[in-house]
Amino acid sequence: MKTARRIPLLKKTLSQLGIEEERVRLAWVSASEGDRFASIVKDMTEQIKRLGPFSHNGGGDNV
Amino acid sequence: MSKPKVALYWAAACGGCDVAVLDTNEKILDIANLVDIVLWPIALDFKYHHIEAMEDGAIDLCLFNGAIRNSEQEKIAKLLRAKSKVMVAFGSCACFGGIPALGNLTNRAEIFERVYVEAQSDDNPNKTYPQTSTKVSEGELELPELYDTVSTLAQVVDVEYFLPGCPPPVDLILKLVDLYATGKLPPPGAVVASEKTCCDECDRVKEEKKITKIWRPHEIIPDPKKCLLEQGIICCGPATRAGCGMRCVKANMPCRGCFGPPAGVTDQGAKLVSAIASIYQADSEAEIAKMLEEIVDPAGTFYRFGLADSMLKRKRMQTTQGRV
Repeated sequence: MKTARRIPLLKKTLSQLGIEEERVRLAWVSASEGDRFASIVKDMTEQIKRLGPFSHNGGGDNV
Repeated sequence: MSKPKVALYWAAACGGCDVAVLDTNEKILDIANLVDIVLWPIALDFKYHHIEAMEDGAIDLCLFNGAIRNSEQEKIAKLLRAKSKVMVAFGSCACFGGIPALGNLTNRAEIFERVYVEAQSDDNPNKTYPQTSTKVSEGELELPELYDTVSTLAQVVDVEYFLPGCPPPVDLILKLVDLYATGKLPPPGAVVASEKTCCDECDRVKEEKKITKIWRPHEIIPDPKKCLLEQGIICCGPATRAGCGMRCVKANMPCRGCFGPPAGVTDQGAKLVSAIASIYQADSEAEIAKMLEEIVDPAGTFYRFGLADSMLKRKRMQTTQGRV
């Protein structure tokens, strides 16, 4: 239950920092849903590849 | 033997750190007897060329306050680093970016637009912005270049010790001076403060951390004996290093996080996101939405002093490559 609260708050914080919401995803998967787990991880990986790398400095030029 | 040479400098700061040095009251006279101050812009009239003329390592101790956000501050930080044996990041801005690092939620262009065009007191129809060099009949005038990103001192030069606080409390300043004078400085990289969190040192009554509403500090008068978090006020104590003497909490105000993350924590803001969301009793989507609404400015609250030092450092500047 804490995770269900933490992720929305984290997303609000990240949106203030200009980070695309697609970079964070919360999905509930049961231990018996192996296929679903694999497909979510695959989806997420492709989504991140499409978004491209994230620079540590937020793309700033100075320092 | 000549007295040790000490430099004090301010970069992106408010001046409070320098006032904290003066707050040592009569002890400042002992310090002045013990050392030769070679640079202290707020109080003494030394020039940069006096420092440039010194040999490398000629200054024994440099207390550097303020973050780095323009070319002059970067240049002087590098100059003082070269000339100093021991460099101390003095105060929250030098240690973590401090309040100036909230500028990392914006950038130079937006800051210039706001300050020189949009502000209600502006009358600037031609949109004149400060230039790094301007030709006038007497010659060329120069201004430092403002950077998009505010950095901590340690992101720009090597730093031996960190003395956090907004401003650093007098007892820790005297402790640092004493450690230096007696040759008992800890290994480089040390933070001259406690290893614990503010909550560890807080003597308010703590019961059960479960809240259903968040109050902003101006909305209620808190019970001075009870844990502020348990009263629904965002207090940064759980993810903030102790050593401050609990000045804010004793004044019935929540911890703002100025001592930075405690030992073992990398990202103070992320810890606070986790801590606050954990104790807020929201079990439905509507209750979670209410929590999000009540936490008006999470980035500014949880990274109030630490944005430059955080894992993300600043708001993303590069344009998004498109929604997927």
